[in-house]
Amino acid sequence: MNAALTLRERSEAEASRLPPLLARAEQLAGTVLLGDHGRRRSGLGDDFWQYRPAQIGDSRRMIDHRRSARGDQQFVREREWQIAQSVMLWVDQGASMRFASDKNLSTKADRARLLGLATAILLVRGGERVGLTGTTLPPRRGNAQIIRLAEAWSEDAESDYAPPEHRAMIPHARAVFISDFLGPLDEVELALTKAADRGVRGLVLQVLDPGEETFPYRGRTIFESVGGSVRHETLKAGDLRERYLERLAKRKDALTRLCRATGWQLGLHHSDDSAQAALLWLYRALDGGTG
Amino acid sequence: MTVLAGIGFTAPWVLMGLLTLPILWLILRAVPPAPIRRLFPAVTLLLGLRDDESVSDRTPWWLLLLRMLVAAAIIIGLAGPVLNPSRDQAGSGPLLLVLDASWAGATRWSTTLDQIDVQLTEAGRAGRTVAILRLTEPEAPVFQAAEAWRGRLPGLTPTPWQPTRAQVDMALSAMEQVDGGFDTHWFSDRLTYEGHEAILSALRARGDVTVYQAPSPAVAILPATYQDGVIQLSAQRAEPGPADRITILAQGRDPAGAMRVLQSAEMEFASGETQAQVELSLPSELRARITRFEIQGERSAGAVTLTDDSLRRREVALIAGSLNREGLELLSPLHYLTQVLTPTADFVDGGLLEVLPANPDVIVLADVAKLAGFEQTALVEWVEQGGLLLRFAGPRMAASDLGRDTEDTLLPVRLRSGGRSVGGAMSWGEAKGLSPFPENSPFYGLQVPEDVTVTTQVMAQPDPNLADRVIASLSDGTPLVTRKALGLGQVVLFHVTADAEWSSLPLSGLFVEMLDRLAVSSAAKSRQESQLQGTTWEPIQVMDGFGVLSDAGNLPGVDGVELVTSQIGPDLRPGLYESGKQKLARNVLTDETVLSPAVWPSDVPIKGQEVSTETPIGGILLSLALLLLTIDVIASLALSGRLGLVRAAAVALGAILLVPEVQAQTPESTDFALSATQELVLAHVLTGDQQVDDIAAAGMRGLAQTLFFRTSVEPAEPIGVDLERDELAFFPLLYWPISPDQPQPSAEAYAKLNAYLRSGGMILFDTRDADVARFGAASPNGRKLQQIAAPLNIPSLEPVPRDHVLTRAFYLLQDFPGRYAGTEVWVEAAPMDAEQIEGMPFRNLNDNVTPVVIGGNDWGAAWAIDRNGQALLPVGRGYAGERQRELANRFGVNLVMHVLTGNYKSDQVHVPALLDRLGQ
Repeated sequence: MNAALTLRERSEAEASRLPPLLARAEQLAGTVLLGDHGRRRSGLGDDFWQYRPAQIGDSRRMIDHRRSARGDQQFVREREWQIAQSVMLWVDQGASMRFASDKNLSTKADRARLLGLATAILLVRGGERVGLTGTTLPPRRGNAQIIRLAEAWSEDAESDYAPPEHRAMIPHARAVFISDFLGPLDEVELALTKAADRGVRGLVLQVLDPGEETFPYRGRTIFESVGGSVRHETLKAGDLRERYLERLAKRKDALTRLCRATGWQLGLHHSDDSAQAALLWLYRALDGGTG
Repeated sequence: MTVLAGIGFTAPWVLMGLLTLPILWLILRAVPPAPIRRLFPAVTLLLGLRDDESVSDRTPWWLLLLRMLVAAAIIIGLAGPVLNPSRDQAGSGPLLLVLDASWAGATRWSTTLDQIDVQLTEAGRAGRTVAILRLTEPEAPVFQAAEAWRGRLPGLTPTPWQPTRAQVDMALSAMEQVDGGFDTHWFSDRLTYEGHEAILSALRARGDVTVYQAPSPAVAILPATYQDGVIQLSAQRAEPGPADRITILAQGRDPAGAMRVLQSAEMEFASGETQAQVELSLPSELRARITRFEIQGERSAGAVTLTDDSLRRREVALIAGSLNREGLELLSPLHYLTQVLTPTADFVDGGLLEVLPANPDVIVLADVAKLAGFEQTALVEWVEQGGLLLRFAGPRMAASDLGRDTEDTLLPVRLRSGGRSVGGAMSWGEAKGLSPFPENSPFYGLQVPEDVTVTTQVMAQPDPNLADRVIASLSDGTPLVTRKALGLGQVVLFHVTADAEWSSLPLSGLFVEMLDRLAVSSAAKSRQESQLQGTTWEPIQVMDGFGVLSDAGNLPGVDGVELVTSQIGPDLRPGLYESGKQKLARNVLTDETVLSPAVWPSDVPIKGQEVSTETPIGGILLSLALLLLTIDVIASLALSGRLGLVRAAAVALGAILLVPEVQAQTPESTDFALSATQELVLAHVLTGDQQVDDIAAAGMRGLAQTLFFRTSVEPAEPIGVDLERDELAFFPLLYWPISPDQPQPSAEAYAKLNAYLRSGGMILFDTRDADVARFGAASPNGRKLQQIAAPLNIPSLEPVPRDHVLTRAFYLLQDFPGRYAGTEVWVEAAPMDAEQIEGMPFRNLNDNVTPVVIGGNDWGAAWAIDRNGQALLPVGRGYAGERQRELANRFGVNLVMHVLTGNYKSDQVHVPALLDRLGQ
């Protein structure tokens, strides 16, 4: 009883965090007009595709009487074949994402969740099934799934760098990974190759803070990861800049190579840029793949 | 004291500390700044990156230099550096410092004190005893240690007079009491005086005399005189010198009461001349405000001259009972008064109510019996604030019942009915002469001519206080002039006419002198000795040696003749004196004064007054160190990237400093002003009756809606105005529904309302009773309106004429119905001379907006709508009622348009269009 109560209490508190994220995600998704998403061939679907003369074998129910009453011939109304894809999302919940170099900027985690949820909303509206990688939330359709996603993303992970979840991937589905990819790269490599093995293709969106791109620090400094697990002390931060940027470029290169090898698409987003641009890229990239 | 490179050090060994600076440099150089902790997710990419140098990021050289400077400044500052260390001078034995200490040295008094201080220091170092002798306040010299005198230096001040003969004698006798010889240092003001030589020879008999004198001679200003419409100013300098230019400042109180320079004039001393003149021509208003002239840059009593009544031309308003007999100037009751006053006073023309705001000094009412109620009130107020009301009797006053039963506020005595006449053809007795003036009379001392006779007069009732109020009487004891004080001012009644009909007094010279004594007129000639005979003057403010006025305290009064003729001294200080209502200024210099320079024998050494004082600069250096430390803190923070913290602290500090200022404003009144002024706002007066107020508010909302939809006037939500609390100036129109039980506004509220009406506001009074009583007292609302409007300044009214601008300000209207229809609406009456021009549909009427519109049609109820825009109350019946509501709305639109655009639609430009629309 007590446990249930506290759970209820906690989930209420958690739920109170949801609406703003949901609302913002809805608002962001609302800025993208849904394009055509059909398969350009007749099949099961809602949209009109063509009228064709009734043939033997068509059941009487299939005859479109409105069209047939204009003449002597009987017509059948065909609809465009629309197929639902399964899209699996993974948004990095690690502590490293909860960072913003300026108090006016949103944290990387916030931005990543916003983009993930907005993408999910768009996909659900387009009739696709959306879920999380792993076994926690398999792809489903409908608005209830959005709320479940939002719930799942309202919890922070403890560890500094969360490895991509790559279990229980549905073969030939699509996937979206959003993270800063600053953690160990071999985990990412493992996830992507495993996905490629199963024929899963998708998108990798790297979200970085402008502070991580420019390294505007000087003087004697102790750098700490957000979780506090890693630290590095330097006497002259300004001198490290060149070498740091070099390493960052290398990291990006490695990601690009990995993506090229596995057939995934790689995007880069900075948390001081407009979220809409990133959402558009995500949507077009997904749409291009499905269409 | 050790002197290094012109700078002395009191503790030179502290300078050894400078040797530690290089060590400090090495230590500071070795210590790197403290690290700063930062969160950084990409720290994984940093792992393994090594710093190039093991002791890198060291303190930059300029920061080190800054810190070295701080250390050096502290060390040198503690070593007690002194600029201009004085070199010792020879001398021994007692030293007498003789000071003139007159006004002539006041400007450079601080230099003199500095020099005396230096002398005392030197004397103290040489172990000499010192005495100080001020010739303007001589005391027996007491030789004491120099340090004992030092504490008394600030108490030495210059006096506003030169040493007088008596003081010189006292000084001489004081010196005789001193045994033995002494050296003298004489601080001279460069002016000579009686007994100068005697003192010099007495001093030289006792020892060496050295004279210190100021580098420039004294400059003084003579009393200002007023002649031929200009102020004559002249200045004098003691010694002829090269051409020089000085500026004279005329100071006085501005209308706000603050002292300020009202005018300045340049004055030039020609080369070799000691006199300079300038003439100042000023308007009389400005002239009357001047209280003193002074020479710019001089700080002495001689450079200041105070002004008194002699500069001031009094402003007199003459008002007679009737002045409509044109052409009979010689018969005007004011003729003799005008003749007397023209040379010495300025006249203020106009009716009583027009001249009162000009605040004249004197108002003369010649044979005025009856004053309107508000005129009386205003006049009483003016007298109580210090005005002089001078009244003359006459046939009208004798015939009226003025002051018959009770004493009139504006009459000194009660009057008997009718008056009396003596010495005429139809009466017994002879014309009466005047008896000599009693001692308590302001006329005391004036010679009574034999030929002044009185034939007719008004008689005072013998009340208990009559005797105190009589200031002149006839030979048989009947009062001729009576006076009473009223507030700060006074009321004087001449029981005869101002012309020669009742007496020959206005024809005599005595009349002029009497007016003069009453301070009706005032002129320089009243300062003559004969005029001052027998008067005593009480000092109000006296000047010190620097020319600063201060309260006279309990200084004794001075005889009038002495005040003008005596020499300035401890018994007669320069300043402002008062006798009765007259004021007289006694200045340091009089017209006869001639300044003559002090002459010294050739074997007396004369020194200038250059002082080089020792200046300890340790404090400056320590402050500099603190300042540098502050810079060091900011620079260190900037280096380690923590300057943001400082910025935040500065912002917080600024916020703390600024917040009280913000709170000092009263937010409530500001909010009200903001809400009332951001948009046009219609307002209604809160009556206290909830129902009436609600309907008024709804009515204003309805009118605002109508205006919003139909015109470019877009009012905001209406405001209910509390007359006692709220400022009215923001509203163009006030709707005032009358309810019988609303409270009477307070006096302050009425003042606000009157100011509001004067400045172009409009009040729409609505009795809401369909005007059944036609504004009589028959309806409770009508009665209330009368009560409320009585204290308001409302002009004469008339029912809206057919060509009033209200009938065409926006809509063309014939009548102005509200919830009731067809009763008259009253507005400000058209001027009498408005005439209709042939062919024009309307007259040229008032230029202004009518301040009030009064009616009883209950417009508010007709305009009223609820929040949904539905009419709140029914009007009339059926469709005809809606038509009436529409007309009521149109009236509202016209009214607001009239308020906002004034008589714009009265302009003849609109005639053709209006004629077209009227179908004529």
